[in-house]
Amino acid sequence: MSELNMELKKLRELELKTQGLAARIQTAKSGEQLDVDLVQLQIENKKLKNRLFILKKSIAEESTAAGGDVSKPKESSSITEHLESVFRQAIASAFPEFRDTPVIIAPVNSTSAKFGDYQCNNAMGLSKKLKEKGINKAPRDIATELKGHCPASPIIEKLEIAGAGFVNVFLSKDYASLALSNLLRNGVKPPEVIKKRVLVDFSSPNIAKQMHVGHLRSTIIGESLCRLLEFLQHDVIRINHLGDWGTQFGMLIAHLEDRFPNYLNESPPISDLQLFYKESKKRFDEDEEFKKRAYSRVVSLQKGVPNSIKAWELICNVSRKEFQTIYERLDISVKERGESFYQSRMLSVVEYLRGKGLLEVDEGREIMWPDDTKTGIPLTIVKSDGGFTYDTSDMAAIRHRLEEELCDWIIYVVDSGQSTHFNTIFKAAERSAILNPLSHRVDHVQFGVVLGEDGKKFKTRSGDTVKLSDLLDEGMKRSLQQLESRGRDKVLTPQELKDAQESLAYGCIKYSDLCHNRISDYIFSFDKMLEDRGNTAVYLLYTYTRICSIARNSGEDFTNLPEILKKTNIVLDHEKEWKLAKTLLKLHDILIKCSKELFLHFLCEFCFEVCTVFTEFYDSCYCIEKNKQGDIIGVNHSRILLCEATAAVLRQCFYILGLKPVSKM
Amino acid sequence: MAGDDLIAKFQALGMSEQKAKETLKNANVTKNLQLSLAAAGSATLSDGTGMLIYHMATKLKPQTADHLPLLVRYIVEHKLDNTQRVDAALEYLLKCGQSLNANIDLQALEKECGVGVVVTPEQIERTVQAKIKASYKEALLEQRYHFNSFKILQDVRGELKWADAKSVKAAIDVEIFDLLGPKTEADLKPQTKANDKPKAAKPKAEVTPAAQTAEAASDGATTISELMKTKVHFHAPGENFKADGYVVTEHTERLLKEHLARTGGKVHTRFPPEPNGILHIGHAKAININFGYAAAHDGVCYLRYDDTNPEKEEEKFFLAIKEMVEWLGYKPFKITYSSDNFQQLYEWAVVLINKGLAYVCHQKAEELKGFNPKPSPWRERPIEESLRLFEDMKRGKIDEGAATLRMKVTLEEGKMDPVAYRIKFISHHRTGSDWCIYPTYDYTHCLCDSLEDITHSLCTKEFQSRRSSYYWLCNALGIYCPVQWEYGRLNMNYALVSKRKIAKLITEQIVHDWDDPRLFTLTALRRRGFPAEAINNFCAQMGVTGAQIAVDPAMLEAAVRDVLNVTAPRRLVVLEPLKVTIKNFPHAAPVQLEVPDFPQNPQQGTHKITLDKVIYIEQGDFKLEPEKGYRRLAPKQSVGLRHAGLVISVDEIVKDPATGQVVELICTSQPAEQAEKPKAFVQWVSQPIQLEVRLYEQLFKHKNPEDPNEVPGGFLSDISEQSMSVVVAFADRALNQAKVYDKFQFERIGFFSVDPDTSANHLVFNRTVGLKEDAGKK
Repeated sequence: MSELNMELKKLRELELKTQGLAARIQTAKSGEQLDVDLVQLQIENKKLKNRLFILKKSIAEESTAAGGDVSKPKESSSITEHLESVFRQAIASAFPEFRDTPVIIAPVNSTSAKFGDYQCNNAMGLSKKLKEKGINKAPRDIATELKGHCPASPIIEKLEIAGAGFVNVFLSKDYASLALSNLLRNGVKPPEVIKKRVLVDFSSPNIAKQMHVGHLRSTIIGESLCRLLEFLQHDVIRINHLGDWGTQFGMLIAHLEDRFPNYLNESPPISDLQLFYKESKKRFDEDEEFKKRAYSRVVSLQKGVPNSIKAWELICNVSRKEFQTIYERLDISVKERGESFYQSRMLSVVEYLRGKGLLEVDEGREIMWPDDTKTGIPLTIVKSDGGFTYDTSDMAAIRHRLEEELCDWIIYVVDSGQSTHFNTIFKAAERSAILNPLSHRVDHVQFGVVLGEDGKKFKTRSGDTVKLSDLLDEGMKRSLQQLESRGRDKVLTPQELKDAQESLAYGCIKYSDLCHNRISDYIFSFDKMLEDRGNTAVYLLYTYTRICSIARNSGEDFTNLPEILKKTNIVLDHEKEWKLAKTLLKLHDILIKCSKELFLHFLCEFCFEVCTVFTEFYDSCYCIEKNKQGDIIGVNHSRILLCEATAAVLRQCFYILGLKPVSKM
Repeated sequence: MAGDDLIAKFQALGMSEQKAKETLKNANVTKNLQLSLAAAGSATLSDGTGMLIYHMATKLKPQTADHLPLLVRYIVEHKLDNTQRVDAALEYLLKCGQSLNANIDLQALEKECGVGVVVTPEQIERTVQAKIKASYKEALLEQRYHFNSFKILQDVRGELKWADAKSVKAAIDVEIFDLLGPKTEADLKPQTKANDKPKAAKPKAEVTPAAQTAEAASDGATTISELMKTKVHFHAPGENFKADGYVVTEHTERLLKEHLARTGGKVHTRFPPEPNGILHIGHAKAININFGYAAAHDGVCYLRYDDTNPEKEEEKFFLAIKEMVEWLGYKPFKITYSSDNFQQLYEWAVVLINKGLAYVCHQKAEELKGFNPKPSPWRERPIEESLRLFEDMKRGKIDEGAATLRMKVTLEEGKMDPVAYRIKFISHHRTGSDWCIYPTYDYTHCLCDSLEDITHSLCTKEFQSRRSSYYWLCNALGIYCPVQWEYGRLNMNYALVSKRKIAKLITEQIVHDWDDPRLFTLTALRRRGFPAEAINNFCAQMGVTGAQIAVDPAMLEAAVRDVLNVTAPRRLVVLEPLKVTIKNFPHAAPVQLEVPDFPQNPQQGTHKITLDKVIYIEQGDFKLEPEKGYRRLAPKQSVGLRHAGLVISVDEIVKDPATGQVVELICTSQPAEQAEKPKAFVQWVSQPIQLEVRLYEQLFKHKNPEDPNEVPGGFLSDISEQSMSVVVAFADRALNQAKVYDKFQFERIGFFSVDPDTSANHLVFNRTVGLKEDAGKK
């Protein structure tokens, strides 16, 4: 469905382009060559219109079909969503007047297995609603009625009424066995969600400045969010909103001209851009003549004077190279679209806002209130000297993203300190009809600061901000020590050791960032993140490696899963087998939860749960039976398939979290 | 060497060394023989048994190959002791072939082959005598030894099925000799033609299939009906399994039974043009074969527009195609459209996917081209995935070219997995925007044939390589499978039929339109004056063999002459008039003469022409200085006027003083009966009307204008300068009444047809063909 919406948008965009071109050709009206293009475009246009028609028809068909046939749960639907549709139908048929009541499905804590696996908690609310209408009905009776109206579903083994009015749902083992077989046969598939065009704005460091741990958080969280959303089949645009524009470039260019007069022909050997920045800043503050020249360079840069542009590019490239090294080490991919990109759009957004009468002159500045009440902090759209601010560029950017990129969801991964700013931007965008809350979603994914082990802001011992590359180097060193302490350097080949070291170092830095609720501040501690027990990357990676080794050590070939599945059913008779299966099948619920609230620590907790439940399973269920001599006397195929399913689920989660498992560790 | 060994073994069967060597070249027969030798074991083969085995091995069809050991056993046991019985056995087994692994009822087989039946010489003699007495005596006495005694042979063998042919023939010869005595001189003369004709036309002259093959000296026939009845040997409806290469499945028997119930055993054929261009002479063959075969066997023929490619179809083509089919004299049983079946075809595609026989592929069109393209990496994707993607394709979610549906079958020439469906966002002229996936030829064709219960799917030889996929697809879906028969394409030399290239000729203003009479589109041929009958007969002459034929237009023109000769009334017309004034005009006023339309056959009608004092003759029929042997008008040589009863001789020659050209002749006339018989009669006109006459020549200089070896500069460089000329001719007023497409013979000139450009006071004629083959050339 949403895939279709996306296609429709793309089509509309293409159609606009086609129309534009056709119009241009019409006005040009010169020569036969153009006519050929015109004919081509007309055909293209016809095709697009036709496709649009077909897509609209398909949308209509699919939305009627989506009425929901619960007798055939789709492989791609999550258990919670499926149960929601079951109970939605039950409510609609038992209490038609309350058909729109949101269904409340909650997973049941795995320790209280007698209450089933999920429960529907709607009876209490319905009882209240009925009371308002003057009907007295006990929640328990309502629950009984709901139970009676539930359509049959292959997912559900049985339903039971418990307590005041809970409907407990017990999952079917047959279904679970089938679902896991499918998972092994077809790979881990994403749950079905409404597909959107999402722009994720993350990382976003500033040119000529250090990338610090704050950027590290944005980069790690942003990358994982992109991977999550991409896995859910959204159309994701990853944007690095680089700080590459502004007055500081005037002084950098002026300084460059003085330091490297030959910069146009020879690339200036700037190794330390920070130092270079400091030098120019010093001159800017002290030298009036230099300051003037710096301002004039800002003007020439904005006008696009070639020499200034060249100088600007040179400076940007130095930073870009540094950033790229870090991105490569952390396996980050993001498209650069810095503030400079919006230069022309800032001009037009100012025109746009002015035209709507939303700008007010205030002490020579032009400001804009986020809403009609004119309270809060206004945005400064045009400075008294005519220049623009971050407010201007953020307004230009949000407009570009919604109106030109045709996104229907924008995510800003920026620290919590910016939350007021972004709220103001969102409100202003809504006020100026750029953002439509009915069809657009905007999120500020905020995160807390990184603290040192002393609980204070993360600094080096000398009190400087920590350089990211140094931090990564330190991580590498520490992970090597961890491996050596376990004697792994004696077992692994040099290459395997290096792989393990990188996997651990970068994995634990990412994971320790992701596994906490991002909004709170977190304490950066290599010691903690490298612990091999508890919810750490190290524990997860070790467990995963162990799971993978089981099939390998069985003495049989488990690589061709579809073939093995033809002969073997997954049996879930043992309590721990059943528990593991149910845990694995929660994946879809978890992924949906993560994507709704944009919290990745749910996924981390899920991984941890999978690993602990697996350990329980492995401790009480033989997969490979050996005699006293250590010879294999029996291989339980079904259980090894369970191991493989566990590995597959973990692998997918690891990918989203940026962990790179290695085969030996 | 294994070869030598085999040759020795083959010789043991009774073959000559030469024959054994030749046989070795035929892999199929060799294989059958080897198997037979193994099955025969140590049996004696030299007594003729060996040659019977050889006979069987050459005739064994793949459908019955399983029964080879059985056949060998019967031959070795002398149960099948002559070719006739072997043939009967083969035929019987073939008949059992429609059900897979059928059990052979040996008793029925023996009965069918007359195993153990002995026919005595007495029996033969008695039967021959009885037959001659009952049916042939009179004819024999009349035609004597010209009588074809083969009929008697057939008749006798009809009764005595297992009688030895040689003995029967000998008995007949004896009886005939008894009846007629020794041959006379007249008996030895070849038969005259007159005798031949009524015999050929005799409606009762039924010839058996065996006789046909014996007589089939040429592949063609004079008419389509004759061709289809006598020269074409397709399977009978419902006996699909007898055709070579037909694939029998467990469902074949049931499907054929159901098929016969639906069709009532009638022949069903179809003419399936893609409605993307104008029909040309090549199509005429297809139309004639499909419609002709159905007509000759009391069957029906569909006109099916194969409109599965939305890009190329235009409304005007549909109408033009129907018009041409009707012009050739055929009426479609039904007009259908492949697009009518889009829903059914789609549902079948889903069935194929579900059976794991089709999959969605993302290879680009370029990747599939050329030799040995890479096999699709998507071939083994899960069924569910293909189903989902195919649905996405249908719903418009996938870009054009980004996905196709492919069938898991390899074609004869090794092409793997032909495409069944592709995405096109072009609306279809009939189904509008209902679909954005369109089926290919490979997928559509056989399924539409099956839906229409086609008995004989007749197509040109190029499609032979698609035959296996045709059968595969029908069988994969478990639906009725028609039989595909191929015939050779008909190519015309000096012609060009590609739609794109004709369009180029038009835009380059080399020809005027699609129906310019110099082209070989059917509309052009009609405009030029070719009768439909002539085109049909021409197709009949070409026959239905597998060979691709390329013929010169002269052959077609000859067929045209044959028809026009007996259908086009004669008229007097002069193309380049020369004024002649008859000084002593024998009548007081202009007179009307009644002239026959067909001088050889006056009872076919007459028309009136005017004779006046001033007449016009052809400039070429007068010569100031005649060469030796010149027979027409000259200063000292008189000439007769056709149909006028006058002979004129030149008195005075009037010349244009400026140019010296002869502009008029003053002549005297004599009644024909009084004058000395002139050496020639020429055509003339009086009080003429004017005609615009368009004379056409071959458009291209070379046989194959598209062949870069023959014409390196491309077909546009091969145009004759003078392929069309226009003259103003004089004709008798009687031609005033001519209507468009009326055809005439202008006496002594050629055949002409009224062009559609004709208006009330402006007659336009096209020269269809000259009177003789080389008449048009100089």
